[in-house]
Amino acid sequence: MGPLAVNDIISPNTNFFLAFVIGIGFGFVLEQSGFSSSRKLAGLFYGYDMVVLKVFFTGGVTAMLGLLFFSLFGWVDLNLVYVNPTFLTSAIVGGLIMGAGFIMGGFCPGTSFCGAAIGKLDAMIFILGLFIGVYFFAFGYPMFETLYKSAPMSSPKISTMLNLSDGVFAFILVVVALGMFYLAEWVEKKFPREEY
Amino acid sequence: MKPLHYLTLILMILALIIALVPQNTTRPYKLTALQMLTEIRAGTQFVSPDEVADKIVKKDPSIQMIDVRNPREFDMFSLPGAINIPLQDILSETNFDLLNQGTKMNIFYSNGSTEANEAWLLTRQLGYQNNYVLQGGLNYWMETILNPMPPGNVISNDEIARYDFRKAASMAMGGGNISAIAPSAAAPAGTPKPGVVPVQKKKKASGGC
Repeated sequence: MGPLAVNDIISPNTNFFLAFVIGIGFGFVLEQSGFSSSRKLAGLFYGYDMVVLKVFFTGGVTAMLGLLFFSLFGWVDLNLVYVNPTFLTSAIVGGLIMGAGFIMGGFCPGTSFCGAAIGKLDAMIFILGLFIGVYFFAFGYPMFETLYKSAPMSSPKISTMLNLSDGVFAFILVVVALGMFYLAEWVEKKFPREEY
Repeated sequence: MKPLHYLTLILMILALIIALVPQNTTRPYKLTALQMLTEIRAGTQFVSPDEVADKIVKKDPSIQMIDVRNPREFDMFSLPGAINIPLQDILSETNFDLLNQGTKMNIFYSNGSTEANEAWLLTRQLGYQNNYVLQGGLNYWMETILNPMPPGNVISNDEIARYDFRKAASMAMGGGNISAIAPSAAAPAGTPKPGVVPVQKKKKASGGC
């Protein structure tokens, strides 16, 4: 049956419309979880607020289990689900840059738009910086191309690399995620910060 | 119980289930078994040798003959314009664009029709369009096109027309029983041009059968 758009069950326009609705829902949940506050986001790195980690890991684990169950019921064909190809070097370099920007700016790209939507000035400045970065990368692409395209791995799966079934790997990941949740609770107690 | 405990409980149960069930029971195939059965019973994948011969003689650019036998057999004999994709390579990625496309009419053939049909079944279940099978395979092709049997005594016009067409097609492809053809037609047998003329005349007939 699924993916709906790939199998022509819904038209590309309906697909965009659904993306629009889901996007609004995503933004709403981000805002309601307090992600529009740069202090909350930076809290992850200082240890006084681990909500970011909890929300994103819960989201990831839920989506993973959901897809695996959908696949089990025959509702979605995982072979047809598009996965961005992995370029290892650029993933690491990009991750470092993004992480540094995250600590310094107190936002990640999605949450900065959330913050801007409720009128936060720091979020708007962050978006400005984001666009400068985008233009710098786009116009400087010939400079970065070799780095960008090095170590291509198409769409690898950790489960395949470890020779595990997807289900067993999912189980391990859930255990790891839960372990991190309890660790996060402990860290929050250890580095409390009352007012922000 | 704290919310985190609820979450732990639910996630652990779900993760345990997903870890224990057999992996990935989804089908990469697009058609259900019933749809396949309907298509197989209708035999829509088959193209008659006469139709194929007509297209080959006319050098119809919309068809692509695909030989699914092994390369050795392909080298020994193949149909004009055919390419070789042995059955074991039918799923290889290099052939994906060729087999899954919307413009050309791919016609699989093998010695009989079994292997060609297997190739068609696989590609059809993957949801590919425009793949067909040469009815009866090369064996039937030899019988009907390259060495056509003259019709018996009690014959209809259709049968004569079909026989004429097959003889002409055989000639155009430089094969078969040329000696059986009348001397006047046999002389230019080497060039494809004389083949074209009789074929156009017979087109109506082939439509009739």
